[in-house]
Amino acid sequence: MKESIVPAAPMAHHTTPSGEIYPGALNLEKVREAHRVLHKTRDTITADGNTAAAIATLQMWRCILFAGFPITPSTKYIETIAAHISQQVGGKKRVKLMEAEHAVADYLVGAAAACRDLIFPTATSSVGLDHMTETTRSLGASGLGNVLLVDVYRATANFPLCIEGDPSDTLAHRDDGFIQIACRGKQQIYDTMIQSPCLGMHHEVMTPVMPGYYGIKDSHRNARLIVEPDKEIHAFQDRWIKPCPFPGLVNGDTAFGNCVTSRHFQGFKVSQKRRMDRVLDVLPQISADFERQFGRPGLAFFDAVGFGDDGAADLAVVSLGPDFGTFESVREEYAKRSGLKVAGIAMRLLTPFPRDAVRKRLERAKAVLVVNQAHHQGRGHLTLDVADALADLATPPRIVSVFAGMGGADVSEITWEQMLDHGRGALEGRAMPPWAVFHEGRQL
Amino acid sequence: MKAPAQAMDLQEVIRTSVLEVRGDGKAGGGLVLAFQSLASLMLRDDEMHVQEWPFFSSARRGANIRSFLRISRRPIQAGCEVTRPRMAVLMDEGAARSVDFAQGVPPGGTFVLNTRHTPDECARHYHLTGRVVTVPGDDIGTKYLKHAIGNVSLYIAAARAIGGFGIEQLADSFLETLKKRRIPATILERNRAALLASAESIREGIFDEAGPDDHPLAEWAGYGDLPIGAQTPLRLSQSNRTSDYAPSGIRLRFEDPATACTGCAHCITNCPEGIIRFVPDAERGLLVTGVDVSTFCKLCGECIAVCPEKLFKEVPSEDRWEEVLAS
Repeated sequence: MKESIVPAAPMAHHTTPSGEIYPGALNLEKVREAHRVLHKTRDTITADGNTAAAIATLQMWRCILFAGFPITPSTKYIETIAAHISQQVGGKKRVKLMEAEHAVADYLVGAAAACRDLIFPTATSSVGLDHMTETTRSLGASGLGNVLLVDVYRATANFPLCIEGDPSDTLAHRDDGFIQIACRGKQQIYDTMIQSPCLGMHHEVMTPVMPGYYGIKDSHRNARLIVEPDKEIHAFQDRWIKPCPFPGLVNGDTAFGNCVTSRHFQGFKVSQKRRMDRVLDVLPQISADFERQFGRPGLAFFDAVGFGDDGAADLAVVSLGPDFGTFESVREEYAKRSGLKVAGIAMRLLTPFPRDAVRKRLERAKAVLVVNQAHHQGRGHLTLDVADALADLATPPRIVSVFAGMGGADVSEITWEQMLDHGRGALEGRAMPPWAVFHEGRQL
Repeated sequence: MKAPAQAMDLQEVIRTSVLEVRGDGKAGGGLVLAFQSLASLMLRDDEMHVQEWPFFSSARRGANIRSFLRISRRPIQAGCEVTRPRMAVLMDEGAARSVDFAQGVPPGGTFVLNTRHTPDECARHYHLTGRVVTVPGDDIGTKYLKHAIGNVSLYIAAARAIGGFGIEQLADSFLETLKKRRIPATILERNRAALLASAESIREGIFDEAGPDDHPLAEWAGYGDLPIGAQTPLRLSQSNRTSDYAPSGIRLRFEDPATACTGCAHCITNCPEGIIRFVPDAERGLLVTGVDVSTFCKLCGECIAVCPEKLFKEVPSEDRWEEVLAS
């Protein structure tokens, strides 16, 4: 690319209620032309979770600036991107290694606001996300749906330091204003990255997205990954990502910098909630289009297993992440042995919580066993969400709340069996504790 | 030696269920690369399903680490750690001081070790029943790669133990993994030479040396009564000795036959573990009498660097196995 992507002043502009728009400020066609193709064909590779996420963003023509700051277990994301970009002689994409996570978040704000039709990804973990907090709350409300903040789950604590993954970090940031999507497995991580900007930048949503996956358990786990041709990814994203109708920081009015009255602030927050609610309608549309084009399941509110056509189950498990796979591996045998119909859902969309879809899925379960993996002051983040979703039912199933895998601890097959045994207590009419913790096949 | 036992057919395990593999080694010792390479190799078969991931404890060079691998012709759902592996791999014999690398392996399992010892010696020393495969990886690494690292050899030995691939496929797959790490061409060629030499150096046998009480699955004993803020022992260590972080085969030694210690105490103040022994000396200050290398010395080298009289040094150290001495 010989010409600058920024034309010489004066630029054409027009007024909107939110400020001035400079539609020619960035020549998107030049940006598209500058993209270096990573995969020309559908390829099968071996990758871990961080690599899968990195490759997806490298394949997007709208991703040209990658700001980041390393923190285990997300470090390999930015390392992979830097390694690829450094090999592209004459390439226009850049990695910006910042001095701290807070600086990364601020950089994302400035870049995303100035270039609202491009996508600005980064990845962090645990206290890295905490360090960003001063900005993430504003970012969540900003309408900058072109920010893609990957959270590689790690227990949120600096002492004792634990590099393994539980979703304490992402769940502690539940109300930052991001759309939060949990993934399990390489393919789901890759596919989610491709779809996330389509959701976040949708004109009815305009909300940044925080895709997430478990540190170590998924970030460092290698398996087969199918990668799609860049051209196909571009075609898919271009169908969904339309020119942003709002100005960025170029003489525009955004969430940043202005001191407003409570009256304005409240209206702003109401708008934020309404946009977030739109996710529940837009996500299935994007998902269906993804499946049509690529032949794999797209984004979902949750993955369900074991429910019959009538939706009935004796015991339904609610959890998330790769440990749900271990539940799947013991489910049928346990059901056969116990004579119970055992089913489960692994949550994908954490925020906004799809309460109607969850209620519909669980309304014919006799008991619901919610397996929380993040530290919580009470019965667990997921438990409270599920309880809320089921509260309107005339005869809601009993909810049994447990914790396992905190700090990324292993959740073994025998631990799952013990938790299922515990959940059966509700079916037998026993009084159940508000919550219980399981590890290595034992109730602590 | 007892009568030979039967060894499992690992290809049959892959066909009918899931082959679970666990490896023990030390951070920086090449275990993760060896397992990643095995995963990439297996994924060359379009019908193979594979999971591979590491487990780090204390995140520093020399600390014990683990790697896990699942291989199957069926989709793999389980995501938990491997506790009953059909195949156990030992990258670094020093790692076996802190963990039982054969824990939970059923009779007839396969054991792959990076060691100079023979399969027979290993079977008797570690009490192994099943197929024992050895390769002197560190020696081959030293010869071809100028570095005592056994990942190349262990990869070949483990892949041959699993079976299903020819030597050229094994070599190509490994070198492809290295290429992704942007290793220069000359180093790749050295690795190829090391791969071929490793294939020639593999020894194996089938043994029955495990007693009924060997390698039991550890019963989890709970967290106990910990004082607030206390750290639990490292999850992969039985003893929590940071001396196991030191490179295998080397130990620190303090020698002062002429009582040359000046009493400057630089070693005492610089030692991060507080393991320098000393006595007050009225004329010279703090006179060093020795160093406890059995507990926490991880060979950081601080004492060696600061001693003005050069009284600390690294010396070769090798555990002498009874099995070897007997034979």
